[in-house]
Amino acid sequence: MTTAIMDPTGRTEKQASAGLALASRPADLSGVSVGLLENGKQNARLFLEEVAGVLRVRHRVGDVQLRRKEVFSAPAPPELVDELSAASDVVVIGVGDCGSCSASAIADGVLFERHGTPAAVICSDAFTATADAMAEVQEAPGYHYITTPHPVAGLTPGQVRDRAEQVAAEVAEVLAAQGRQVA
Amino acid sequence: MAGDLMAGEPDPDVAREAIEYCYEQGWTDGLPVVPASPELVDQFLAQTDRAPDEVLWRMDHLNTECTVQTAAINAAMAGCLPEYFPVVLAAWDAVMLDRAAKGGGWQSTSGPAPLIVVNGPIRHQLELNCTGGIFAGGFRPNATIPRALGLMMRNAFGVAPHVFDQTTQGIPGRWAICFGENEEESPWEPLATEMGLEPGANAVSCTLTRTFEFVDNRHTQDPEQLLWDFADTISRTGVMIFRTQSAGIVLCPEHAQMLADAGYAKTDVKDWLVEHCGRVEADLRHAGKDAVSEGGHGARCAGEHERVPGDVFSPFMPGRESVPIVVAGARNAAISMVFRVFGEWSNSSVAVETTNLIAAVSDAGG
Repeated sequence: MTTAIMDPTGRTEKQASAGLALASRPADLSGVSVGLLENGKQNARLFLEEVAGVLRVRHRVGDVQLRRKEVFSAPAPPELVDELSAASDVVVIGVGDCGSCSASAIADGVLFERHGTPAAVICSDAFTATADAMAEVQEAPGYHYITTPHPVAGLTPGQVRDRAEQVAAEVAEVLAAQGRQVA
Repeated sequence: MAGDLMAGEPDPDVAREAIEYCYEQGWTDGLPVVPASPELVDQFLAQTDRAPDEVLWRMDHLNTECTVQTAAINAAMAGCLPEYFPVVLAAWDAVMLDRAAKGGGWQSTSGPAPLIVVNGPIRHQLELNCTGGIFAGGFRPNATIPRALGLMMRNAFGVAPHVFDQTTQGIPGRWAICFGENEEESPWEPLATEMGLEPGANAVSCTLTRTFEFVDNRHTQDPEQLLWDFADTISRTGVMIFRTQSAGIVLCPEHAQMLADAGYAKTDVKDWLVEHCGRVEADLRHAGKDAVSEGGHGARCAGEHERVPGDVFSPFMPGRESVPIVVAGARNAAISMVFRVFGEWSNSSVAVETTNLIAAVSDAGG
């Protein structure tokens, strides 16, 4: 008698996902309150604060709220997503700079979008494979995030400021681009 | 003609075809796997009272999980015999007591390796190596039990290299570290007994590790000199990324016996190491690891200015509970292995649950 070789994944064929409809964006960022979700990785907080600083000068954003995600390797807990969404019009998330935290930063971006809050995720360019794979898992294939060159952890404060300058325009574009859809 | 297939002999071409099929599905860790038939998997499931559809673990963030049945398939593919399966299940439960394993440890750039230690008579029933060459391969249960966990991680949880597994370089033999404690030549009680299980219990203890380094010290009779040698190896700056770093030792019987003969209980060894493992500020400064980041998760980094005098000593080990010590290997030379714990050792052991059938057989045989 012949029998099939057993599948060790335990998974069934996935249905094609509907994809992610992004939260609706403000027309521009003027007066918009910004939530920063930092993951506690080295330089993450400074990086996000510097980005917020640039947004304040160039786009006259309003209040800035900073929150720390205590477990960098896991997606943000629902209470934190609720709280930061309530406190801010848009969020900036980062910095994805390790195996687990890059993937979870993407999951956070998708969580906020589904919650109705526009999000911009910043991730080191060494982790795009795991970031893209997480977007697939979250049924948001092709989810757009912003990359910064690896490494981030070892940068001096001045270098972090330069990096923030480099990504700020794309962050603004992602947060204010009305009706942008993923592929 | 030589090479003709005799009646009843397995067909190597059919076997190879089945193995290649598994490669094509992406189900292997690079080495050939045993293609798992339902009949073989049923033999594994017969070794446990746990239901096939019981979920061993779920990774919510990856939307993946592993059931007892999926674990059995992967254990069969790893080359385990069915009777190893209760140890595979206990090893899984033991490693998941580690906080880092529950979080993102498996996706980590460190690529931590589970270190699996087995206690109890099941070591002999399964012919698990406890003596010469515990890290060196050559024994089926030692090689296949940890490999089963690696295949579960890859296949069931979807944590595969270059995607969700972001290991930078990893640890040599990452999924191949499993041995029995050499209880017969250890001067101390078995690890599982120390962890509070009944003496003689079949049990598995596990922690995630991030580096191994051996200490060869066979020409001293002074236990303190030996302990200094361990402390020097444990106290390297290279592995330090946070304020503290746990480390353990797989003591060879000769080292363990020497310490015990000098009056050291295992806890005395642990306490000595906790007190003496660490570095002075000047050494940490040389390595750019004298400061501990305030903004992040306590990562070590270069301080902007001198915080304390260069001769101030920083102990590395958080406490006695963070120093796993086990005795294994041959008694033919005084060579022991230091390993660094990836996160935080659970400081506990998990009993191996076998079905009543197996327990009865081993009682009759014993």
